[in-house]
Amino acid sequence: MRAIGVVMALVLGGCTGTGPVLSPHLPADSPGTAVELRDTPFFAQTDYQCGPAALAMLLQAAGSRVTPTDLVPAVYLPGRQGSLQLELIAATRRHGRLPYVIEPLISVLLEELRAGRPVLVLLNLGLRSHPVWHYAVAVGYLPDTDEIILRSGTTRRKLMAAARFMKTWEHAGAWGLLVLRPGELPARVDPGAYIRAAADLESVGQFRAAHQTYVTATARWPDNATAWLGLGNTRYQMGNPGEAEQAFRQALRADPGYLAAYNNLAMLLAERGCYPAALDALDHALEVSQPGAALRGTLAETRQEVLQRQRNPGNQVDPACNNSGEQP
Amino acid sequence: MNSKLTRKAGLYALILQFAIATFPPMALAGLIQTPEAIAAQQQELSRQQLSEAVVREDVQQQLVELGVDPAMALERIAVLTDAEIAQLNHRIDNLPAGAGVLEVIGVVFVVLLILELVGVTNIFSKF
Repeated sequence: MRAIGVVMALVLGGCTGTGPVLSPHLPADSPGTAVELRDTPFFAQTDYQCGPAALAMLLQAAGSRVTPTDLVPAVYLPGRQGSLQLELIAATRRHGRLPYVIEPLISVLLEELRAGRPVLVLLNLGLRSHPVWHYAVAVGYLPDTDEIILRSGTTRRKLMAAARFMKTWEHAGAWGLLVLRPGELPARVDPGAYIRAAADLESVGQFRAAHQTYVTATARWPDNATAWLGLGNTRYQMGNPGEAEQAFRQALRADPGYLAAYNNLAMLLAERGCYPAALDALDHALEVSQPGAALRGTLAETRQEVLQRQRNPGNQVDPACNNSGEQP
Repeated sequence: MNSKLTRKAGLYALILQFAIATFPPMALAGLIQTPEAIAAQQQELSRQQLSEAVVREDVQQQLVELGVDPAMALERIAVLTDAEIAQLNHRIDNLPAGAGVLEVIGVVFVVLLILELVGVTNIFSKF
């Protein structure tokens, strides 16, 4: 039996830490307070399908009704007997939720748990050289016993020593995924990552979810031009060109040299027949931009398109052009 | 419209066709989409370079080779972004694929078996 113990320690990576792992990362005013998100649903994995099971737990915790069975065809890779991180992220988008990868720090993971959000984690239960990848859902922690509470495999409430969790989690790149409702902000958020995640939702046609995320982002970071651009783009996709135009103007207030915002503003102006204003915006943008700027070519193409439309006598001109077609 | 824009329009059409949008998308009016604007600002590869439909087809094919139903593979690539497609391409075999704890039991068993065979342990001989 001692041999089994030795092998288990070898294979699973024994706990070698000396002091408590969690307490240095807990808030000073309530270091001993345990957290457990008991309402997080649990699905026991079948075969090798911990990816679909873990993702279903998070999606349901974020208000979706999707089940692991629904997710298997979308994330399970039979040839790998597992699921890829990127496909879990992509499937989250398919269900209209925002996938947000947390900063790879235990303190951030614990903070999200305190904020009531379960975290999908990738663990390496094997060795660095012979990895055994496993997804689990962190739902809480116990400072007194220095343990992490997981939904894992076929175990609804698995307690793992924090030292072992840290080791297996860090051997897997300390990857943690949040599944957010559209418009929900994580506890610790990086504006660039958050807005990028919204843009990715937009790029796969999830305009409503992306729109709500941009609404939150523009409220939280009113000086972020990208967030305003995204708000404009999704408003347009949802059939509100007038409001989209306002958002593009906001983007230009935040960043007066923002070529994408000039381009999109000009397109909307041209769409309602305000050709001089559209051309003014484009000319101004081309004038202020660097010669090698990535979007200059696109702006020049847009300019040609506006000129073409202007020459077409059938196009109507919005009588309100003069009122709201001015430069921002 | 030049061929680059035509190709882009084709790609959007493909994405929109297979993505489960919550409402019918409107025709695009040549607006620069937000991911493209972000890429341009970060001086990344342009969207057109990343989003070659060929790469998407490659990744779709790689999914099929790993046992995914072809129609489902098409739906799966539709919700991946261009950057993700680029990351997956030719790395599907090596990226971590989270599986089950069942496999761990298998590893333990194999190690025990080896130790047994080389005579370090004699767990099995007791049965």
